[in-house]
Amino acid sequence: MSAATEPIVRADRVSKRFGALTAVDGVNFAVRRNEVTGIFGSNGAGKTTFFNLLTGYFVPDEGTIRYKGRDITHTPVRERVAMGMMRTFQLTSTFDNLSVVDNLVLAFYRAHRGHSLLRMLLSTCRRHRDEDKVMQALETFELGARRDMEVRHLSLGEKRRLEIAMSMLAEPEVLLLDEPLAGLAESEIRSVLDVLRRNSGSQTIVIVEHKISAVKDFVQRLVVMHEGRIIAEGGYDECMQHPEVRRSYWQIETDTVAEGRS
Amino acid sequence: MTAALRWWGGPIVAFSLLALMRLVLPLAFVIEVLIFSIYTIGCSFLLGRVGFISFGQPAYLAIGAYGTGFYLYYFGANPLIGLAVGVAAGAVAAGIVGPLFVRLRSDYFALVNLALAVIVFYLMQKVLADITKGDNGLWFLTNIASTPLIDIARPEGFFFFALLAGLAVWALYKYIDGSVFGACCLAVKANDDKLRFLGYSSFSIRLLAFVIANTTTALAGAMYAVYLGFVSPEITSPARAADPVVVTILGGTGSLYGPIVGTLAYTGMKDAISKLVGNWELFIGFLLVFIMLAGEKGIWGTLQPLMQNALTRARARWRRDR
Repeated sequence: MSAATEPIVRADRVSKRFGALTAVDGVNFAVRRNEVTGIFGSNGAGKTTFFNLLTGYFVPDEGTIRYKGRDITHTPVRERVAMGMMRTFQLTSTFDNLSVVDNLVLAFYRAHRGHSLLRMLLSTCRRHRDEDKVMQALETFELGARRDMEVRHLSLGEKRRLEIAMSMLAEPEVLLLDEPLAGLAESEIRSVLDVLRRNSGSQTIVIVEHKISAVKDFVQRLVVMHEGRIIAEGGYDECMQHPEVRRSYWQIETDTVAEGRS
Repeated sequence: MTAALRWWGGPIVAFSLLALMRLVLPLAFVIEVLIFSIYTIGCSFLLGRVGFISFGQPAYLAIGAYGTGFYLYYFGANPLIGLAVGVAAGAVAAGIVGPLFVRLRSDYFALVNLALAVIVFYLMQKVLADITKGDNGLWFLTNIASTPLIDIARPEGFFFFALLAGLAVWALYKYIDGSVFGACCLAVKANDDKLRFLGYSSFSIRLLAFVIANTTTALAGAMYAVYLGFVSPEITSPARAADPVVVTILGGTGSLYGPIVGTLAYTGMKDAISKLVGNWELFIGFLLVFIMLAGEKGIWGTLQPLMQNALTRARARWRRDR
């Protein structure tokens, strides 16, 4: 396999058990460079657990995870981030006691200025608030008006945009988004997807989503999970036509039928 | 130039006011306020900025005091070297226990520090009684040599030194507050996981914060040793373990000037009330309950926004009148 077609992230026969429950069961999975891959499934299908295995939140009981061909199954989170993997959280995860701009400064600083404690002690936040990349992120994610507001006062949609802005500031090679649209209003969903689309084509993205219809135009390849296993993968239509998917998710079946009719 | 003036303005005003207090209040009281404020700011930083509550601050205070005490009793006479030894002892001790302690959750952290304070107390009182003279303590007031420029062996000179030390400590904490590291500390408090997933080591951030805070605490201990000219195990008495936490909350947790305001209130009440009634701790207890119920902001946390508003309004009026 040549370097160009070698998947950037690859999971081989990965399993994770919690007591008697096998949350992820021998999953094989690959993410190709610059492609948007969606992981889809109902609640409890194992998507988020699998996602946590990829990002190092959990260590799998079996199987290996590779990044650019290197085994990272036991690599700590911090090193994965340094290698270029960045994730967001299902429950938006920001620093509520800091201002919007300082949240961005922290994301920017680690990615572009390193992690020397002495330097962190000596450099002030103020100096980094006017960095081009930070200002650009404020503008792109329409957070300029909230710049100096403490994050605890933001709406959920704004927090989501901030969290995605933070992960993009780090300029990761692989961006892993855990249900970035959950709990958002239609207009907010559109604005989040617009921002993501601007970068698609040059950015590898893995997106876990519960509401597949929202992202069907965005994802290029889809993986459908059910009870810890991957039951289908391929293009959106291909997956939706898959008999096992139709059997497991009657909900989609009715959705697609309805869409076909209209 | 104006930026520097604005930056230094707050700390300089605060310590000038403390210096002016000397005109109306006894020297011993003002020195106690200065040292106790330095003692408290470490605790306030840990609690308000990093989210660690510690009931074991007397341990680090005692390590600083005994570091200085041992030097001045057994080895030398220069109080400045004594202070340096005490501070270094605090930094080393924090560097040793820190890697173990900062991994703990906040509630366990509080208790493990209390355990350390108890251990240090019994070490100094019983186990090492041969060199610490047990409950009698080490007396070295007459050993302390005078120093050039400011003679810190004399109370007036020590007062001046304590003012400068306080100003330096406050400048340090003010700088930390505005630094990327300071933002990381707040981030550790708010969302440790997220910080990890941005690629930071939350362990090293906690550890450095812990070492900085407890080295400051050790400085306060070393200052007590030089000022009083003696150390006894009483300094780490578990009965006094909650003092810095109480003063931190009283002043306003995590605010820069909270520790000074809290110390003034606490020490002032202790002096004033204890003259009138025996059980002054009872009053402090009631006051604390009241402050928590009134919104946990403490004295400075409540006053500061009010003063800020008044200042902004006064400025606006001044502009309009011109």
